[in-house]
Amino acid sequence: MSDRVANLELIAARCRRNVVRMIETGHSGHLGGAMSAIDVLTALYFDIMRVDPARPDWPERDRFLLSAGHKAMGQYAVLAERGFFDTSLLDTYGAMRTALGGHPDMHKLPGVEANTGALGHGLSIATGMALGLRKQGIAARVFVVTGDGELPEGSNWEAAAAAAHHGADNLVVVVDNNDLQISGRVSDVMSMAPIAGKFAAFGWATREIDGNDMSQVLEALDATPFESGKPSLIVAHTVKAKGLAFAEDQAAYHYWKPKDDELARAVAELDARIAQLENSAKQLEGAVK
Amino acid sequence: MSGLTDPRKEFGRAVTALADDNERIVVLSADSGKSSGFGEFATAHPDRYFEFGIMEQGVTGIASGMASTGLIPVFAAIAPFVTSRNYEMFRNDLGYMRQNAKIVGRNGGFTYSDLGATHHSLEDYAIIRMIPGVVVFAPSDPGELRSCVAAMIEHDGPTYTRIGAQPLPDLFDEEPVVIGKGRHLREGSDVTVITTGYITTETVAAVDLLTERGIGVDLIGMPTPSHLDAELICASAARTGAVVTVEEHYVTGGLGGAVAELLAQEQPTRMRLVGVPHAYAPSGPYDGLLEYAGLDAAGIVRQVTEFVSR
Repeated sequence: MSDRVANLELIAARCRRNVVRMIETGHSGHLGGAMSAIDVLTALYFDIMRVDPARPDWPERDRFLLSAGHKAMGQYAVLAERGFFDTSLLDTYGAMRTALGGHPDMHKLPGVEANTGALGHGLSIATGMALGLRKQGIAARVFVVTGDGELPEGSNWEAAAAAAHHGADNLVVVVDNNDLQISGRVSDVMSMAPIAGKFAAFGWATREIDGNDMSQVLEALDATPFESGKPSLIVAHTVKAKGLAFAEDQAAYHYWKPKDDELARAVAELDARIAQLENSAKQLEGAVK
Repeated sequence: MSGLTDPRKEFGRAVTALADDNERIVVLSADSGKSSGFGEFATAHPDRYFEFGIMEQGVTGIASGMASTGLIPVFAAIAPFVTSRNYEMFRNDLGYMRQNAKIVGRNGGFTYSDLGATHHSLEDYAIIRMIPGVVVFAPSDPGELRSCVAAMIEHDGPTYTRIGAQPLPDLFDEEPVVIGKGRHLREGSDVTVITTGYITTETVAAVDLLTERGIGVDLIGMPTPSHLDAELICASAARTGAVVTVEEHYVTGGLGGAVAELLAQEQPTRMRLVGVPHAYAPSGPYDGLLEYAGLDAAGIVRQVTEFVSR
């Protein structure tokens, strides 16, 4: 495994711990999607995107939109770890007037580019950003994470058509395809399969990956735009609540209000994972020396 | 009175003229750019003219994204489809995100008279003024339309501008439109009449008839029905003790509703709300629909007379 991947895996583990830290304070939150999307978010903010936490409004920055705004804790966890704000702010999650609302607010938190939460908005806004940046000759790119459960919203397909028609190849959409929504399996509730096939039919260049495998996440994002003149779509197959064995791949953990012993189990599991990754990193370092 | 002006063409000309000097202005079309008066813009600035086909929700979000990069998107289409259909995008992506995007509803009110209730826009002031931070412009004549376009572009934030399609006469001298400022158009002591938008043509004709009949009307034009001129309206209401609002909009939630909210708290005054009955209106010619709603000059005269003589 490369240092690059190992480093990002360690950061992703810390970000997962940040999510649980917020739930410790706020007592509840949208756990499942935050955890499934963390690996993609980590790769974007720590490796792929050109951002500067000291200048969150830098005009040349790459933009990130969390269309599935209920995964906000995932974004907060990564923004904090990346240095957009002090990690102590995570302990205000759920508090009155917190900057870390249940859905992201661009006017309250540096690094947030759009007020999302209502599903099916992100792709249109991102398409406008991509076209606006290109129009002004700014080479920045726009990245979006959307959920598979929000794809039935028709507005997504308006944007899918518009982005392809206007050749927005500075736009990259990652579908966090954890195959679960509140009511159950996405395939049972409202199947949008084949997602990549649908976007391809709209004129997008597409790929499918294991979205919890950092090597695959990096490989795919590194290859964007997949084709010149086309927006890129990555279907990232992920596991809801990834990282917490007792909660993985269960619709019941879409929104988590921890039962008595669950928080302690979550903390222990994530701390052990971080320790394991830190240990491997030290061994690697030792071997190099 | 000089000749009549097509408000859509005038609107397109006004935006194009501003865009000649302001490279941030871009125009977004949902298969209706030319009908919205942007044929000239598309020819003059093809690189700043974006066609998206019929997708008003999507274009509203796209306008938000473009605005976030520093552009000033102007998105014009048929009024109900840029206010009702895309309401959540307007509320969240423009209002809540405070984006500097300009939405324009053309053929507002009864303009698409014969196309029926799906194409009438009689609730747009009400629903858009509910969105915090959005300014609603409703120009009444060609000069005010040009001034509204200038104010709309100058204002840093989301706006909604309603224009019609009926040819408009010049009613007043052209003056800059200031958000939250009304225009004191006639002085009188019997009744205050407050109006907005292009029904002002009928209102002015009605006021002239009322004046001939000895009813003194204090006439206020309110080009920003979302942002009332509280000082002017309350002072006039205090003088006359009777207020009538006239609008080509449902009586529910529009200018009349806004003035009632203001006066109930600041200057309780008896009121009469002249507007469209709260029902799905019939199809027919524009003049016929004005008559149906009591919004032709004769209908306005009848309602004001009845109100002041009570």
